[in-house]
Formats: sequence, C-alpha cells, structure tokens
Amino acid sequence: MSVSRRQFLKAMGGVGLLYAFRFAPAVSPQEKNFDMLPLDIGDAECVATILDLDYREWIAFGPDGKVSVYTGRTELGQGLKTVITAVVTQGLDILQGKLTVVQGDTELCPDDGPTTGSSATKYVGWGFWLVCAKIREDLITRASRSLGISPKDLEYSNGGVGLKGKKGRRKSAFELGSGKAVLMSIDPNTSRTNDRSYVDLGILNVNAKKIVTGKLKYVGDLSVPGVLCAGWLAQPYLPNLTRLRTVDLSAARAVPGVKMVEVVRGRVAVVAERYNEVLKALDAVKAEWSVPERPENLLLEEESRARARLYEVKEQEGNVEAGLASSDLVLSETYTTQYTTQAPMETDTALARLEDGGTRATVWVSSQHPFMARTIISRYTHIPDSNIHVIGMPVGGGFGGKTSNPVTGEAALLARITRMPVKLIYSRKDQFQLRGRYKAACVIDLTTGVSANGRMIARKIDIIHDMGFGTTNTYTIPHVSTKLYHADWPFGRAVSRGTSFVQTCFAVESHVDMVAAVLGIDPLEFRLNNVRFQAFIMLLDACAEMIGYHNALPSPNTGIGMAIVNHGGSQLGAVAAEVEVNRTSGKVIIKKICGAFDIGTVINRNTVTVGIRGAITWGIGYALYEEIKLNGHSTKTADLMAYHIPRFSDIPPVEIAFLDNHQPGSPRGCGEMPVIPTIGAIANAVYRAIGVRFYSTPITPEKVKKALQSA
Amino acid sequence: MAKQTFNLNVNGKNYNVKVEPDEPLLWVLRDDLKLTGSKFGCGVGVCGACSVLIDGVARRSCCIHVGNVSQGQKIITIEGLGTLDNLSPLQKAFVDHTAFCCGFCTPGMIITATALLARTPNPSREEIIQAMDLNLCRCGSYINIIEAIESFVKDQWRGKSE
Repeated sequence: MSVSRRQFLKAMGGVGLLYAFRFAPAVSPQEKNFDMLPLDIGDAECVATILDLDYREWIAFGPDGKVSVYTGRTELGQGLKTVITAVVTQGLDILQGKLTVVQGDTELCPDDGPTTGSSATKYVGWGFWLVCAKIREDLITRASRSLGISPKDLEYSNGGVGLKGKKGRRKSAFELGSGKAVLMSIDPNTSRTNDRSYVDLGILNVNAKKIVTGKLKYVGDLSVPGVLCAGWLAQPYLPNLTRLRTVDLSAARAVPGVKMVEVVRGRVAVVAERYNEVLKALDAVKAEWSVPERPENLLLEEESRARARLYEVKEQEGNVEAGLASSDLVLSETYTTQYTTQAPMETDTALARLEDGGTRATVWVSSQHPFMARTIISRYTHIPDSNIHVIGMPVGGGFGGKTSNPVTGEAALLARITRMPVKLIYSRKDQFQLRGRYKAACVIDLTTGVSANGRMIARKIDIIHDMGFGTTNTYTIPHVSTKLYHADWPFGRAVSRGTSFVQTCFAVESHVDMVAAVLGIDPLEFRLNNVRFQAFIMLLDACAEMIGYHNALPSPNTGIGMAIVNHGGSQLGAVAAEVEVNRTSGKVIIKKICGAFDIGTVINRNTVTVGIRGAITWGIGYALYEEIKLNGHSTKTADLMAYHIPRFSDIPPVEIAFLDNHQPGSPRGCGEMPVIPTIGAIANAVYRAIGVRFYSTPITPEKVKKALQSA
Repeated sequence: MAKQTFNLNVNGKNYNVKVEPDEPLLWVLRDDLKLTGSKFGCGVGVCGACSVLIDGVARRSCCIHVGNVSQGQKIITIEGLGTLDNLSPLQKAFVDHTAFCCGFCTPGMIITATALLARTPNPSREEIIQAMDLNLCRCGSYINIIEAIESFVKDQWRGKSE
C-alpha cells in the first residue's frame, strides 16, 4: 500500500467512523473481532493494519451526515463515479448531496491498483453494494449496544439507526463511530444476492452537467501561476531503435517566448511561455536520427516466425495429435492481425510543480493509475514517493494507454530542469510516435479436427505475439493445445480496449466458421452444437432472433456473421453483424449489429449501454479500419487522417440484449468485452456476403477489391 | 512575428489579447480567456474537439489564426451556450441521453450540432450523421449523440405545434 501514515491521517481528519475494506476472501484477526475491538482511527495499530494489510477502499462517515468514499481508481468515462454514487446513495440511503467521491488523489486515497480490465464495476460497483449491506448491519449492532435495545427493534436509514417504525431518537453513524475504524473483507467473486433493489437506478452520469458545459476540468485545463508549456520533438522512427545523431537547436532557441530547448534523455524538449511557441520551436529544430539496419516490412509474418520462441503453454488437455489423427476432417489455417493504438481524444498531458527547492512535487495527471504515475515521477526526478503528491484528473480516454504513461515523469523532470511549473502536452504526432507502444500484431496458426457429424474433437493453436486470452472455455473440445510464442519486439507491447482477447478471438471465430463451411453445416448450428455453456446457447439464440438470422433472405453481397467470447470466465458475449460489400469500391458496409451479453446484474443501464455501444465501435474500427503502418523503422501512421478511428457514418444501428444465466446474481462488468466478438462477427459476415475469407485484419477496401479480382 | 493587440468578441463579451497574429484561436480561448471547454485533440482540424461557433458557423479553433478573425465576428464557445444551472436544451438532451463517456469530445460535438440545428432545424438522421461526421469520439458514443440530437429536435417541434 502506497499511502503513508501522514497521508492517511490527513484524509481521515474529522471522520467519525471509518470502514476500510478490501475485495478479497481472506480475513485478518482484527477483522474477526471488528465489532468487539474497533480500532481508533488515529491509532498506530489501526493505521498500520489498514495500510499493511491493504484495505484498499474506504467509506468514512463525517459530521452532518456526510459520507466520503475514497478510491484510487480513476474516472475514465466508464462511469465509475456514477456507479459508486448510484450504489452508495442507495446502499446507505443517503442523498446524493451528502456523498463525496474522492478518486485518484495519492494524498487522500488508497492505492487499489490500476483502473483496467473492466474490473471496476465488478469490484467497485458490486463490491460497494455488499459493503453497504455490511455497514448497515454493523451500525445496527453498534446502536443496539449503545442504546441497550434489541437489534430486531432497530432499523437503519439515512446514515443512522433508530427505533423501527418510529421517528424519535436516532443515532447517526458519526455518533455511533466515535473515531473508530472497522475492517472488512468482501469477495465479490463468491457473493450472490437476490436483492435487486440497487439494480438499474437509471441515474445519469454524475459528471454530465460539467461535461456538456465544458466545465469538467481535465489536466490540460488546469493552470498554476507561472506555468510554462512544453513539448517533445516527435520522431519518425521507432523510439527504442533510434538515436539522435546530429541536432541543431540554435534556430529553435531564437523563437520568441522560448525558455528552454535541450536534449533531455536523448530527445529534444522545448519549454516556452505558450504552446504555439513550443510548436514553432519544435519546427525549427534540425535533427537527424541514426537508424540501425533492419529490413523493411518489420515483423511481418515471416520475420515473426523466424524469431518466435516458445513462451508459455497456455492449455494442454487430452492428446491433441491423437485427437487430430482420429478426426474425420482437419482444417489448418493462419490468421494475422495488425498493429493498433489507443488514440484517445485527450493526448498524454501532465502538469507538474516542484516545491520546497525541488524536494517535493505536485503533479496533476491523466492516468489510469495515479500511484503508478507517482512511481514514474520518482524515477524521473529522484524525489522520493512520499514527497510526491499526484492528483488524478478525469481521463479524456485511456483505453489501457494511460496506465504507465511516462508523460507524468517527463513533465516533472522538465519542471525540475526549468525550475518552473510545466504543463507537458503531447502533440497528436507524439501520441502516435513517441511512445512506440502498440497493440500487438499477431500470427495465429489454428488446426481443428472434427467428427463428420460436426463435433469438435481437437484444436491446436500457436500464437506469436499475443497472450492467448480467450482461447479457453468457449467450446467443448476434448483435445486441446494452445502455445504462446514471443518474438523480438523492438517497441513496447500495449494493451488496449478488449486486451489481447481481440486478436485470438478474431482468428478462432473466423476459423470456427471455416470449419463449419468445410463440413457443410450452418455456422450458428455448428456453434450451438459445440459451445461449452448453456448460457452461450441462449446468447446465440438471442442474437439470431434480434438480427433475423433465420428469416433473412439471401440478397447479393450481403451476409450475417456471428461470433462469441468468454471474457475472463465471467463475462460471456455473442455478437451478430449484417454487412453488405460493395464490389466496386471494396467497402464493407455494416448494416446492423446485435449483441447479447451475459454480464450479470446491470447496475446502471445508462452508463453500460453507452459503454457497450462504444466497445462495438472499437470492434468495427479493428475489423475494418485501424492500422499502425510500419515501414522498416518508421511509424508512418502519425495522425488521425492516416489512422482511421470509426466515425458517425461508420456506425450501424446497434441492438443490445442483457442476459443473466451464466453466474446469476452479481454484476460482472462489460466495458471491453463487446469489442472482441464484433470483429469475428464482421469477418464472418463478409465471408457469407461474398464467399471470400479474409485471413488478416483490417478488412480494407483494397484487400476486398484485390480478393474479388483474383477470385 | 511581433505581438499585436486583438479585440475578440467571445460569448458576448469583448476581450483584448496581445499575441502573435498566427496564434491559434484555441490557445487564446484556453490560455488567455481561460475558456477551457474547447479542447486540444489534434491541432490540425481533424478531430473537432476544438470546435467553436464563429458567426453561427462551427469552425475548428485550432486552425484559425487570431489575426484572421475579423473585427466584429461573434465567437461562441461551449461556455456561451449554457451554464451548470441553466443548460441549453441541446446540452440537456446530451445529459439525458448519456451522449458521452469520457466527455472530452463533447463540447465540440455540441457546438457542431448547434450549428447544424441553426441552419437545419429539423434534420434527418442522414443529415445529422453528415454534419457530425468530422467530429471524432474515441469512446464511441456516436449513437447516443445522434439520439440526443434527435430527441432535442423532437422536443423543439412538439413545443412549436402546441
């Protein structure tokens, strides 16, 4: 736990009763006795226990019925603050105006890890609901002891406890607490409930009014006295492979308003009074890079294969070779995917101010993990963690790219060099080129053996560059082998929305359709025959119904495709896509997308619906448009014209259904999962439309035209 | 280029700013006038996050030099459309339809839609898509944005027929 005792006490000033909890099955000795021996909040043992044993979420009752929630997880647009507000106001029966949600401030919040992987709703949303139930129970126990009244005659309401059905004397949580801390462990994975009272409150995004009036402050919108602007010189070459060979800074230094032009950590940094002066100075820098010898078309399929080495045996069940040998039909295929990037609308930005002669720092960040930012800042400036205050601001799009983004440390370093507060803003070009981290392009070999009547018997998958998520627990296959290979990687591997399920699931779901085609079985029927869980059958049926799979009359150049995913064991999804292919232009036009998602209880339909639609948009981008193009050492794709993220006109009507059959009775989150099956569904629909299988994403008009010409 | 004084009319107020003539309007709004609702997304007019109204037309403020803003032109930013306590009907429709996730592109979306609705009060879905198509939203809130605009239009026409 990264919060210090000093910081903890600062956060807890004036608190009457603190509930510190963690989402884990384990129970500490203090917890067992929590209602017997509550700890004093300021007590050394209390602080040590909370910090050392990682109680990573806090709910504090202050005077005047005020309740504060402290969480290190940040607002990325996924509606986390809205979910917490919905759950805690309902769970503790308090007015929204009495609740303060403190997120992502390293002086005030516990470190509960990065905000990634669609886990926030499950742990924070669902977990907080369970916590609220325990808090109500605990407060009744306390009131019973304090008032000498049996718990069954007492009831909890609005932050306090009183006699059942009577107005009269009540005791608030603040009074009942008298400066005590209570520890709890809650395991959202094993907890279920039939209590649906918190479901679908339909509350609006709590930041909504600020967003639509331009009043929500992102880090770039902040200012401090004397602040200077800064920028880096973007470089056309992969950062890890190249070195500044010659550089002439004289013209840049002559630009009015410029305060500093220097080579910092091997790159050119400019600090000036205004951002436009930074850009002018960067334009005036003359630089040449030295580039090591490497072939063009870096890391395409052949090079990947030549360099691949086994990294992990992901799955090994039965005997895959024997299974394939005993199959009636065996199909082997290879799929490849492209490099992609997160491309958030808000480029990496940070504002840093050094204090006390450079021994302390305050840094405002756009980060999915402000505590990680603090570590990075410390690494860049050599200021110890305990002297760095990181304030996480609302994130203007993260998608996995703002977890360990170095901009935080870079801003602090430039502030140290210039001895002035610095706001470092990545240009859009920087955002594409400077990080040198992309979602991995993959090579995926698949071999599947089936019986003549359409049962999967054996499947072998070899994946180069991917983590191989999502290969398991979708279909029932007796003999399975999945191996992961790594190859030389000249730049960082990035995660982005959908994680590394994206690449493998595109390949697996395309391959499943091809096996069905060779067998002469309808791909939906083939899936229904082989899926691992009953819940998948219901999802596929729901999708088929929504898209009109069985009623659809085949019309020229149109087709419907489907795909499924099991995202981490608890989120299941199926997506159906209807496409039309224009044979002249080669363009794939998506007519409709229908998605059915088994994600447990929906906490807030408003926020999850927009999230799912967004995830489907990402699937469309990956399937048809997005690609970082590399040529030798250069990243040629450096702006939003070359890198096509989906636009209004790319989005078809989308229909969504929520199911709750797989692990009913708990919310399981859904921020990323719909990205994944959307890609395979589109690829399969294209195959049904024109009879051409695309073995690589994105399915661009050029590829379609080429395939149709050679067909 | 030497700094000059420019007079700008923004959200109905007159401001004098002393900057170089090639200073992008976006940075004058953000850094000098502290109107930070207009966002920097690309700097080359591709994403639309910096959109403002100039005499009622949606323009990319990152690509407009202050020196090219004519005396007397009326600039409206997102801050000029409504306030926290008094949202414009279109802003309210964006709230009611959760027409955003992270919200970074939202001011530009609302500005562009405002310009569309001023010239085409009853747009079809196709017209909405065409007018909004060069405003990018990476979270992918497009359908909700269309729904918000459509619901605003519906309410306006209902109001008129009553």
